[in-house]
Amino acid sequence: MTHAQLTALLPVILLAGTAVALLLVQAITRSHRVTAGVTLAGLAAALVAVTRALPQGATPVTALLTIDRFALLYTGLLALIGIGLTLLSFLYLAGRTRLTGAYYILFTLALAGGAVLASSAHFAAFFLGLEMISVSLFALAAYRRDDPAGIEAGMKYLVLAGVATAVLLFGAALLYARYGTMAFAALGTAIAPGAGDPLTLAGIALVVAGIGFKLTLAPFHLWAPDVYEGAPAPVTGFIATISKAAVFALLLRLFTQVHLREHPALFAIFATLAIASIFAGNLLGLRQMNLKRVLAYSSVANMGYLLIAFLAGGPAGAIAATFYLTAYLPALLGIFTLLTALSGRERDADAIADYAGLAWRRPVLAAAFTVLLLSLAGIPLTGGFIGKFYVALTGVSAALAGSPAFWALVGALVVGSVIGLYYYLRIVLAFFQRTPAGEEPAAITRRVPDAAAIVLTLSTLAVLWLGVLPGNTLTLISLLVEEWFR
Amino acid sequence: MFSITGLLTISGILFVAGAAALITRRNAVAALMGVELMLNAANLNFVAGWRYFWPERLDAHVAVLLVITVAAAEAAVGLAIILNLYRKFGTVDLEQIRLMRG
Amino acid sequence: MILVLLILNLLLGGGLAWLAGRWSASAARWTALVVTLFELLFVGLLWLRLEPAEGSPWLAGIVADWIPNFSVKLILLMDGVSLLLITLTAVLGVLAVLVSWREIQENVGFYYFNLLCVLAGVIGVFTALDLFLFYVCWELMLIPMFLLIANWGHAHRKAAAIKFFLFTQLSGLLMLVAILGLALTHFQATGAITFDYRALLGTAPGSLWLMLGFFVAFAVKLPAFPLHTWLPDAHTEAPTAGSLLLAGLLLKTGAYGLIRFILPLFPEAAAAFAPIAMTLGVIGILYGAVLAFAQTDFKRMVAYTSVSHLGFVLLAVFAMNLLALQGAVVQMLAHGFSTGALFVLAGALQERLHTRDLRRMGGLWTLMPRMGAVALFFAMAALGLPGLGNFVAEFLILLGAYRANMPLAALAAVGLVFATIYALWLLQRAFYGPVASEGAPRDLRPRETLIFAVMMAALLWLGLFPQPVLDAAAPALHRVPGVSLHVGAYVRGPRSPARVRESAHSVARPETAPLAEHVRNGDGSVWGDAKAGRGEAPAPWGRAGTGTSTIDDRRGGAR
Repeated sequence: MTHAQLTALLPVILLAGTAVALLLVQAITRSHRVTAGVTLAGLAAALVAVTRALPQGATPVTALLTIDRFALLYTGLLALIGIGLTLLSFLYLAGRTRLTGAYYILFTLALAGGAVLASSAHFAAFFLGLEMISVSLFALAAYRRDDPAGIEAGMKYLVLAGVATAVLLFGAALLYARYGTMAFAALGTAIAPGAGDPLTLAGIALVVAGIGFKLTLAPFHLWAPDVYEGAPAPVTGFIATISKAAVFALLLRLFTQVHLREHPALFAIFATLAIASIFAGNLLGLRQMNLKRVLAYSSVANMGYLLIAFLAGGPAGAIAATFYLTAYLPALLGIFTLLTALSGRERDADAIADYAGLAWRRPVLAAAFTVLLLSLAGIPLTGGFIGKFYVALTGVSAALAGSPAFWALVGALVVGSVIGLYYYLRIVLAFFQRTPAGEEPAAITRRVPDAAAIVLTLSTLAVLWLGVLPGNTLTLISLLVEEWFR
Repeated sequence: MFSITGLLTISGILFVAGAAALITRRNAVAALMGVELMLNAANLNFVAGWRYFWPERLDAHVAVLLVITVAAAEAAVGLAIILNLYRKFGTVDLEQIRLMRG
Repeated sequence: MILVLLILNLLLGGGLAWLAGRWSASAARWTALVVTLFELLFVGLLWLRLEPAEGSPWLAGIVADWIPNFSVKLILLMDGVSLLLITLTAVLGVLAVLVSWREIQENVGFYYFNLLCVLAGVIGVFTALDLFLFYVCWELMLIPMFLLIANWGHAHRKAAAIKFFLFTQLSGLLMLVAILGLALTHFQATGAITFDYRALLGTAPGSLWLMLGFFVAFAVKLPAFPLHTWLPDAHTEAPTAGSLLLAGLLLKTGAYGLIRFILPLFPEAAAAFAPIAMTLGVIGILYGAVLAFAQTDFKRMVAYTSVSHLGFVLLAVFAMNLLALQGAVVQMLAHGFSTGALFVLAGALQERLHTRDLRRMGGLWTLMPRMGAVALFFAMAALGLPGLGNFVAEFLILLGAYRANMPLAALAAVGLVFATIYALWLLQRAFYGPVASEGAPRDLRPRETLIFAVMMAALLWLGLFPQPVLDAAAPALHRVPGVSLHVGAYVRGPRSPARVRESAHSVARPETAPLAEHVRNGDGSVWGDAKAGRGEAPAPWGRAGTGTSTIDDRRGGAR
């Protein structure tokens, strides 16, 4: 292994190393603070390693991983969100369970899995990364043994993730049987554009279905709301942010390197998935009374929007999708921070009714929450709007460039956004409900711990900054993504 | 000897059988077995691809070993969850465990 | 810079009012009042210190970079039309603060924060000339308005607020897609992406689809039939100041958008679409008037009259001649005051009688003579009594529309008859007849008297001396492509009287001659011959002195 390879791989090594270190720490002390501290230190070190690795170009590390700037960008993003989620986990676990060591080990392993996914160049790495995330996450979802909903969520996630992996692997095996390789680049040269033999088609279709499960695209979204609702708030946060972002990074890379976008059949499949997700996510979210379920459906819809940028392809599509995720992640992180901070011992504060009157009782929290929700809805001056704007820009651009199918996608984006807005507004309106003094929901009277306040402030500011002055971030992202298209 | 078509058909049948078990069986352990069956169908594909098309390459062997290992890990965690499920609900029947709508 | 100041004053003032509200309610009220008075002062300064560049319609403005990646710029520019609407915004802003003085008792600080934010967003809409920025302002005035309705409105406020937001959002997103389409069309043609309004002029003059994207957004706001259904609900449920701002300002953003964007950006498509749009306008006029007549809820009735009045604006814009556009601008101002005043009246009545149901009113004149007189005045304004602003506006519009499409103009004129019926019916039901309500409601308070006095003065001024308004708007309207300028002969504009006469008789434009002749004969004097500066101060933007007529002549001619 050369020095360059080591530098490039260091973030992943550090993440995995943190997990091992945590195992060793458990032998010395069971202190929650120490465990969380080691996790934070490991994540911070990984973040530093990312910045150290950025200057060098794409570095292949074995046949499995290609660590280029895109991969590092996503790894950095995951580590950043991971730091926030670690703080949340610390707050959440404190006082709820005494067994905290395993949680952080699984958490870091999942994060390492995300980094592997973001840099994988081979189906084996894809599979490995996916399983590192999934196995850790269903253990995490069921982590609280006193919480039946969590266990049920873990069970459902187990089945869901298992099916996704199996489907994906079956597809990869078919492609292997046909082309004799599992490396993305080699597959890219081997698969002729428009190849129509049954093995190739079945293989690709199954891979797509597997990815669809992981991204909870409709119609693969069925159990996602249950998993979101049942899992502890920080774990739901992880599922909603890190695992989605990592899989989406992989999807972008896979399709760019294998040139799958040129397949008309695949285009049709993804376009259908996108439209179905947008409508399913937004329509099913309408009647939910549970915040986590709303977020689950909102994420189904948001993945649909992302697919539009992804389908448009080219540098603009990749930049748009990456920016969209960059703005989407802090918004979700902020929401889950609030959810965690205001949750009681017995029950997470995940009913919309838990927030009735928030605006009168805690105006600052309500303002932050509103900003975050409006970002998810894509209202101007939030990062979500710039993301959606960019997605629409690539969509309209592709439509004008001669693929009229994009008009349908852009139309779905417009209609879907309006439907979705309804359920975000419902939550915002709940903040303004007037409740007689003394009858407020318990959630809104709870104190927000300092750590949560910091995470919330930072993520809200990030959302606003990305919405008001997105220039620098856009430039940075385009510099990092451009590498692929040179 | 089997032909490649035969092998792929068998793996396809295994895969569908696994999926069917997942959908129809209400028992959590059976569902887990369904997942395992699907993974092994994929393994069979790898082996078939190696045997008939790419006998000089070793990727398939590595892939199969990898899958077996990871599937074991998955089964281990899965069984642990099912154990907890049983402790909490007194049953592993997925139909009866429905705290949440969906 | 002054435009930025106008917006920042409101935003920061809003924040200040919020903070003051945490201390005491009346502190918040006074803060908001001072802020809006300052705003009015700034606008006054704006009128006094205009320094237009030669040959440019822009009177003030600022251009700065914002998001270089998309070439999005901060472009705030103001021309005569914007200036008039900003003035309207500032005046109605003060009135809205006063109107809410007693009505709002809960969370006063946050209320005024939202109120001032709406005003800031509206001023942003009236001045933003980067399409991206325009869209941002367009959305941002919605959120505080949504909160105003949802939090301080009446019984069904939440549903009404959500309906309002969703309607506007859907149409707004369609506009966003059209903006993107326009910018990308420009990109394909020139290789440079930009959202600068001035650069995009002439990019896709004939694109019907892009035009429709914009049109839907503005038609929803206007509101044009059949996209008006959000309006009665929103108006009825909103607090009084909310109705005032909705009617006075938010609806105007739709009309402003039609004039500012649809005609200049898509002159050919607009010309092709004009018959449909004008028909929609006329349907709106008649439909709104008929439904207004059928309402029993005071506010709901006034809301439908809005549909009717703004139908005139739609008709005027798509008549696509200067006369009608001048009328549209006056209509926007006059409607802001007259309908706004009716909503304030409704609010005042509700406060006293605890109902808006017209069937439970009656004989109010005897109980509250001053309020009765006020109601009479504004009902007369709504039905278009000569001497008041609405008359000038509707008359100009009908004149312009007549040139563009005679049958539709004739139908629209029927709307005036309907307006007379519903206005008199309103008076009859609420203020005349036997006394229906118990108790002795208090007549107008001094604060309310002041509010109504300002609005009456504005309407009288618009009705009697509209020339400064027409002058202010003229240079901007002259630059709207696709608008036939020769009708400008009636109205003072940048053209010299001599040329106006020439064009009226020109062989090259035979179609203008008959109308000009007709008016000349009917009037007994040639409008174009009137000497400039009769009775009015010269307009501050330096085009005065070339003018031709005063509106007094015209009204005389019509009688």
